[in-house]
Amino acid sequence: MIFQTDWACLRIKAKTAVLCLCLVNPFKLDAQSLNGVRYDNLEFEPLTFNQPDVQAYKILEDVNVLFLEDNSLPLVSVFARFRGGTSHFSQEQQGVVTAVPMLLRSGGTVNLSSDSVDALLEYHAIDVSFGRDGRTSFSSLNTLANYLDEALEIWSDLITKPRFSSDMVQVWRNQELDYLKRSQRDPNTLAIRTFNRLIFGDHHPTGWALRPEDLEPQDLAIQKLRDMHGVIFCRDNLTLGVTGNIKWKELIPKLSRLVRSIPPCERSFEDRSQVPTSADPGIYLIPIDLPQATIITGKLSRIGLNGNAEYFASQIGNLILGGSGLNSRLSSRIRTEAGLSYSASSIWTTPMNPPGVLAAMTQTEVQSTTRAIKLISETLKEMTKKPPNSREVQDAVDEISNGFIFNFQNPAQVISRQMFYLTQGLPLNWLSAYLEGIQQVSPKDVLNTFGEFVGEGNLDDMVTVVVGDRATVEAGLKNLGPLYILEPL
Amino acid sequence: MPVLMILLMVSFLVPNKATAQISDGKDLPVTNYRLANGMEFIILERSGSPTVSFVLQYRVGGINDKIGSTGTAHLLEHLLFKGTDDIGTLDSEKEKLLLDQMDLLEDSIIHLEKNSPSSPAIDNLKRSVIQLEDRAQVYVASNEFERILSRNGARGLNASTDSESTKYYLELPSNRTELWFMLESERMNHPVFREFYTERDVVAEERRLRVDNQPGNLLYEAHLRTAFTTHPYGEPVVGIMEDIQNLTRKDVKSHYQQYYGPDNAVVAIVGDVKTESIKQWANKYFGHITPIGFQEKTPPVEPVQRQERRVSLAFEAEPQLRIGWHTVETTHPLNPSLLVLSALLTGNRSSRLFQRLVVDDRTASNVSSSLGPGDLFPKLFSISVNIQSPSGTEQVEKAIYDELGILEATPPSERELIRIRNQISAGQIRRLSNNFDLAIQLAHSTAMFGNWKYGFSLAQELKKVTPEMISQVVRKFLTAENRTVATLISNKPAIR
Repeated sequence: MIFQTDWACLRIKAKTAVLCLCLVNPFKLDAQSLNGVRYDNLEFEPLTFNQPDVQAYKILEDVNVLFLEDNSLPLVSVFARFRGGTSHFSQEQQGVVTAVPMLLRSGGTVNLSSDSVDALLEYHAIDVSFGRDGRTSFSSLNTLANYLDEALEIWSDLITKPRFSSDMVQVWRNQELDYLKRSQRDPNTLAIRTFNRLIFGDHHPTGWALRPEDLEPQDLAIQKLRDMHGVIFCRDNLTLGVTGNIKWKELIPKLSRLVRSIPPCERSFEDRSQVPTSADPGIYLIPIDLPQATIITGKLSRIGLNGNAEYFASQIGNLILGGSGLNSRLSSRIRTEAGLSYSASSIWTTPMNPPGVLAAMTQTEVQSTTRAIKLISETLKEMTKKPPNSREVQDAVDEISNGFIFNFQNPAQVISRQMFYLTQGLPLNWLSAYLEGIQQVSPKDVLNTFGEFVGEGNLDDMVTVVVGDRATVEAGLKNLGPLYILEPL
Repeated sequence: MPVLMILLMVSFLVPNKATAQISDGKDLPVTNYRLANGMEFIILERSGSPTVSFVLQYRVGGINDKIGSTGTAHLLEHLLFKGTDDIGTLDSEKEKLLLDQMDLLEDSIIHLEKNSPSSPAIDNLKRSVIQLEDRAQVYVASNEFERILSRNGARGLNASTDSESTKYYLELPSNRTELWFMLESERMNHPVFREFYTERDVVAEERRLRVDNQPGNLLYEAHLRTAFTTHPYGEPVVGIMEDIQNLTRKDVKSHYQQYYGPDNAVVAIVGDVKTESIKQWANKYFGHITPIGFQEKTPPVEPVQRQERRVSLAFEAEPQLRIGWHTVETTHPLNPSLLVLSALLTGNRSSRLFQRLVVDDRTASNVSSSLGPGDLFPKLFSISVNIQSPSGTEQVEKAIYDELGILEATPPSERELIRIRNQISAGQIRRLSNNFDLAIQLAHSTAMFGNWKYGFSLAQELKKVTPEMISQVVRKFLTAENRTVATLISNKPAIR
């Protein structure tokens, strides 16, 4: 494989599927090489297509449903998002808030044992998945259209009548504990988890990773599971999305039945996010004896997912810094020029409720650790001192604008994205605003945004996490700043 | 000037058909177009979003690497992103002079290493080669190839190398289809392996990232190497570190000349395109490229395994187990039974080994199975288990053999197979929903099996597998003397 970027953290990409307008002129590529090669002369016709028309409805007057008919295949997909994720509950509740959606799938229902649920789903080839993120718990259903009634019935039972069989709770707990143990040996997971903890501190949910002590049997007691289920999986928290080979009129009674089976919410909850308490800037080393070191360096960012100019500048700035594959500065410098790494990239998260984080990540042979950190630092500093050249900005804008059509490639993707906007409280015309905002970004905007939100870009203003062999890296790291040795989280 | 190349019109999404029909894929309106030089194009017009997926597959992979030069095919894949005579250079003539000098020095190094391996001149020459590459860097426009594609809105630009093939893929807005032809023909015909030594270092880092830092992948390598003593399926596609670090531009050039030509290439194009335009562009951009006279070479045959083999790795990691049995190549009539066996054992939550190891015994956190690593030669049927501490690998191994013993004696129930058949049918339909996945399947079926329908036909064959056929392949292949067992055992405290 030629390249790969490994970021386990949530990456929010702002895209929507609302109408926006068009340029119709045939497009001629600018000259791109000094040799005047033939691709300069290609001309492309304008791209025309029929925008998927997502319909917004309400079921039982209070549940939002987004619907997109798609008759290309005899399949139907249904998506449910419930407000309520890890950021709404305390650290001690992270085990139970993580367990509930997973056990809705595997823990059986009041009417059916776990085995029977598996057998039914597999017999009808119904795909059901459950999960959660910081703000929501979610589930999806994909079925052949002719099994939709059976599928909705099982799905409704899974969501509303969980059994939480103690055997299956134990099986899930075992799997999770094993995963935690294994991830302690995975340098990328370890680095990201530790970085989040250091940068967001003990009181912010983004800093919390699931710990073995969150999975004690008493944390997963059946009453705790039932309580958490009742708080999240209730009607007032619900948004639905449907796409596939079905007419809305046929769908109404089916969805009404589903929604009626979900009780109204009796309790509410608030976002528990507090102001992060970042660790002191410095180098934090997790000693593990591996041939390659993993490095993350970064700091908090106050930019949120909104329509402000700095948001758009951060998106373009991140593409230039490290978010755009081989061409971005980090990759060009660390991979292409120095041959130090297979992957060097950056991420700039812009959550609805800031702060997010700007961070760079790479992996390099352990002997090259210090050199790679210096290259990251130099690259960040440059971004804060000098505007990117106009070609870099134009390339980033073109990458988004010309690839805009990929936002509409698949109906399920369109529906999921729209549901995300709805649950995040973004305006329905967000996608067109996004594209317009991106196209307004100038090199100076990028410089100003880095200057205002990243500061000088100095290493001594950053939290840097290194997972690597202590004997090889310690002396070099001490020269870069204060060094702290950590146990793996 | 920002350019948005999209004419958005307010309207309903136009359905392809009033009511969708279930298709097994073989009746898709695919066009197979072959140029006079042997290059094949598999074209599928699909309405929907105006995008197009491209997969270019060469029939060359890890098994074609020479002994001592493992990783060549994979490094070549990387270097194909470095540009061409025209793309990625600021002054091709001056750059070429320096690259030619590098090749001459490499000849000298190879000569010395063969005849006077302790000569101090070798290191000096190697330093000179690197210095020449540094000088040539002045003329390089790095990553130009990727830049052209990215700014034209390309998505999923990447490549992969496996045992028997190398694939280059991306998606583009469909109005830029011709750009793919132009760029891809350039790099088939005129690639330049610039920035060679830094890219070789990048590949070494890729190996560290994917293998040396990942105990599960180290175990996989050890397992294949122990199971295949003669056949190159035993060698890692990414390459052995020592081999990677000694690969030269000449090695890669020679590989390119031997395998990269139109008669060894298949292209699948799926999306909002017109078949007639594709044919015209195929002729215009690839029709003039001279075939390489590609002839498949048969690798050495793996001798029949007569007794169980075992390999064990000690690592600071949680325990894992892999058991593999030699079986058959993909086109063999027994292959479908083995694939269904795999689904029966580990395909889902109801599968026998998941139920036994994860749910009932609770000795494992995960179990999976696969057939590989290639298609063309007899493969290994492998079961892989993440062992749940404090259980031991022996206990899990025994449980697996128990389950296989049951299957050997008693065929699975018809109901178990119906579940699997239904999932195969649904899987076929779901696969049709993604142009890129479809392009991968069409290219692979054509390149490996000479027929774009192969993937769909195989699904039909899977549905014909009977309970008795399952027991038959267990009895025939999953025997003690035919198996290779690899275990990963934790050897140290987790953290120093």
